[in-house]
Amino acid sequence: MRRVHIFGRAMAVILGATLSLPAMAQDAGSHEGTIREKDFPKKPYSPYAGRSYPTRPLFGDTHLHTAFSFDAGAFGARLGPREAYRFARGEEVTSNSGQPAKLSRPLDFLVVADHSDNMGFFPDLLAGKPELLADPTGRRWYEMIRNGEGAKAALEIISSFSQGTFPKDLMYYPGTRAYRGAWKETIAAAEQYNDPGRFTAFIGYEWTSNTGGNNLHRNVIFRDSGAKASQVEPYTVYPPYGSDNPVDLWKWMDAYEKKTGGNVLAIAHNGNLSNGRMFPIVEAFGRKIDREYVETRARWERLYETTQTKGTGESHPYLSPNDEFADFEIWDFGNLDASVAKTKVMLEYEYARAALKNGLKLEQKFGTNPYKFGMVGSSDAHTGLAAMEEDNFFGKTAPQEPSPERLVATFMENPKTGVKLMDWEVGASGYAAVWATENTREALWDAMQRRETYATTGTRMAVRFFGGWDFQPKDAFERMPASVGYTKGVPMGGDLKKAPAGKAPTFLVAALKDPIGANLDRIQIIKGWLDAKGEVHEQVHDVAWSDGRKADPKTGKVPSVGSTVVVEDATWTNTIGSPELISVWKDPAFDPAQRAFYYARVIEIPTPRWTAYDAKRFGVKPLPNTRMTVTERAYTSPIWYTP
Amino acid sequence: MRNALREPLLQFLLLGLALFLLFEWRGGGTGSSRIVVTSGQIEQFASGFARTWQRSPTQAELKGLVDEHVKEEIATREAIATGLDRDDTIIRRRLRQKLEFLAEDAADQSPPTDAEVQGWLEAHPDAFRTESQVAFRQVLVSRERRGTGAPAEAARLLTRLRAAGPGADAAHLGDPTMLPAEMQLVPVREVRLTFGDGFAHAIEAFAPGQWSGPVNSAYGLHLVLVTERVAAGRPDLSAIRSEVEREVVTERRRKELDALYRRLISRYSVTIEMPASSGTAPVSGGGGSR
Repeated sequence: MRRVHIFGRAMAVILGATLSLPAMAQDAGSHEGTIREKDFPKKPYSPYAGRSYPTRPLFGDTHLHTAFSFDAGAFGARLGPREAYRFARGEEVTSNSGQPAKLSRPLDFLVVADHSDNMGFFPDLLAGKPELLADPTGRRWYEMIRNGEGAKAALEIISSFSQGTFPKDLMYYPGTRAYRGAWKETIAAAEQYNDPGRFTAFIGYEWTSNTGGNNLHRNVIFRDSGAKASQVEPYTVYPPYGSDNPVDLWKWMDAYEKKTGGNVLAIAHNGNLSNGRMFPIVEAFGRKIDREYVETRARWERLYETTQTKGTGESHPYLSPNDEFADFEIWDFGNLDASVAKTKVMLEYEYARAALKNGLKLEQKFGTNPYKFGMVGSSDAHTGLAAMEEDNFFGKTAPQEPSPERLVATFMENPKTGVKLMDWEVGASGYAAVWATENTREALWDAMQRRETYATTGTRMAVRFFGGWDFQPKDAFERMPASVGYTKGVPMGGDLKKAPAGKAPTFLVAALKDPIGANLDRIQIIKGWLDAKGEVHEQVHDVAWSDGRKADPKTGKVPSVGSTVVVEDATWTNTIGSPELISVWKDPAFDPAQRAFYYARVIEIPTPRWTAYDAKRFGVKPLPNTRMTVTERAYTSPIWYTP
Repeated sequence: MRNALREPLLQFLLLGLALFLLFEWRGGGTGSSRIVVTSGQIEQFASGFARTWQRSPTQAELKGLVDEHVKEEIATREAIATGLDRDDTIIRRRLRQKLEFLAEDAADQSPPTDAEVQGWLEAHPDAFRTESQVAFRQVLVSRERRGTGAPAEAARLLTRLRAAGPGADAAHLGDPTMLPAEMQLVPVREVRLTFGDGFAHAIEAFAPGQWSGPVNSAYGLHLVLVTERVAAGRPDLSAIRSEVEREVVTERRRKELDALYRRLISRYSVTIEMPASSGTAPVSGGGGSR
């Protein structure tokens, strides 16, 4: 371990220093001609001829709820899938609370992922459909909503759903008329707004396994059009038609593909609310984790939603005590409905980095890594509005749309467990960035399937990450990093080829700030590996940073970039940080016999959090301890090495 | 007797009886207990089956189809007799749809004329406007690397680039960046998403074929050669004729429906009793006054 530190620091210092010297940059420029001749396959004169790799990351949300979701509707969501797609593609809409809402710039794609259980239940309840009002519970909810207690009704509905007490007579099961109608509407909206080349509207839904309040939710995304998706109805959780076991969802996915010749993938989220059940390593649902489990999971779940409004799940300070940036928008109070409080032992089976590490162990044991997933971020907003910008945040649920109250209101309270969660703790996060070759359902879906994606907490920075055996420091000065990257290595989400004798893996990593966002503080590469004794480890390396800072000679860590945020004014300046960072990094402690993964994390300089904008705009004093700044970031999909 | 037969009332009653018997025998009319499946209908079942399965039904299959039809007929009559159709939203909507289809069909009778198409386009000039597009090359001078020397360096490079002209080999000029050195003809929206609004706006003024700048962006100073520009505009009518026709027909349908309800509503008196507690304004446009 010590060796790792020293070597890593030395390397990082050299590269960091190189990049902050303008003279070096000029020199590298003039050398390029010869470099190219020597290192690359012969190319046509035009650098753009034959270029087939993606040139711009496409940003979107893979997880947005509308009024079709029973809980969203109860919270007061009135916008349906059509409004959701219109908003995402950049149009102005009227929000659920009657405010005009518009994104700073359009998104490139959107998946409306309404809960499959009880899909369409809410619009009917709201309309006062006689069958629903005939049930005493249905009538009570209806009255609550009419009396302006929608949020209370919503929490009651969610809780009754996760605790299995949802009235049977109110269930909207697959196969029933109302259910089919909601699914048809969902498909019709996606078909209507899908605009290949410009805006992709995916067909999808959320399978909401929530037994005992433990969040095992998955979003299912179709590669296909309505012609195939309408041949099935979404898989649900409630018996007799559904199941809360992910194994059964995978069977449904398999059956869909066999029946229609189509393709679907599933993205799990909020392991942080699963109370230790999201990434099991011993048993799941009373069955030992076996070869079949790991193979099936690896086949259907190639992405994980690492950040969203209900907390960020890359890692936890308890799991990564040496990672100063791990304490970021953490939700670790308990499970989804706060019915069971969290214990430390659960954390390892909830967070992405720990799962990536445990995946190496399981791969050693079973030959397949069930947790070989890439990263995306998404909103999980229940408003129909994928508005995750700090200065334009429309909240997680309808009552959390901009208002003077949301800075001081309670989001959730469970007197039994003593858990109380405030609205300010909800994060304005995140988006999914996809390196797709074109903006179509097929190209985006294929890029997701090959994990060429990264998660952002709402920023739209562009991040490239390539791994190979031959990247040289001078590659960081290439005019088209992607061209070098794809030629000499594999992109994020890929696998390093077999190790050539005596070589260590090298990585080309580059980040370009959001054109209207904050400068970049640093790029880090996070390595996880499995040693000869079967133990897993992790190490965070600073590999590129701004402002010519010097890394600590002992720890290799680069000091803080500082902050320009004036919280009271909700302002900051790009006078610190870099608009662009790029580096080539070589693993200083590579052991070709050990399984490993590497991913990049790019961190912005501090900026005002949405709470700061609210305090300023509404003139409301925040509660004590409210977080008022944020360091937006991106997490790339890992690149794996297998001996 | 002859006199009696001349009695209008009796004639009327006899005629009624005859009609009743006829209807009973034909099996028509709801509430009737007679169901007749005609040979024509059976032929229809058989040909429907053949279209699906590419063969004629067997005797047993045909019997199945007929039985199904009879059950459906019985169920429908019973359900209607019990009033099950009245509180059923789906049936009500379906009936409304059928009625509206009839009106809308009238709108589709004739293809839109040239005058109609032209008129629609003039009324909606922006409906099919294409986005402006631009193609350009750019060289970045990084403020971060050059500091206060950036503007001078940009000026020096601009002189060199202008001297070399539009064919200048700029691949090794300026500072390295992830930003694309060239964008082929793309909608301006794409330029905004990559370089920011300010940059996209600034290069709109540049004459094609000449190195210009420097332009400021979040990343530094850019020297830009616009190589091609396609202005926003209305595409040729021939290219969008079918889309415009679709819109014309859509508008016609809307008008037909409007006219339909206008005609029908005059036959009704509509009273809307708003609940006293409701704070919302009464729905306007009710037909009571017509």
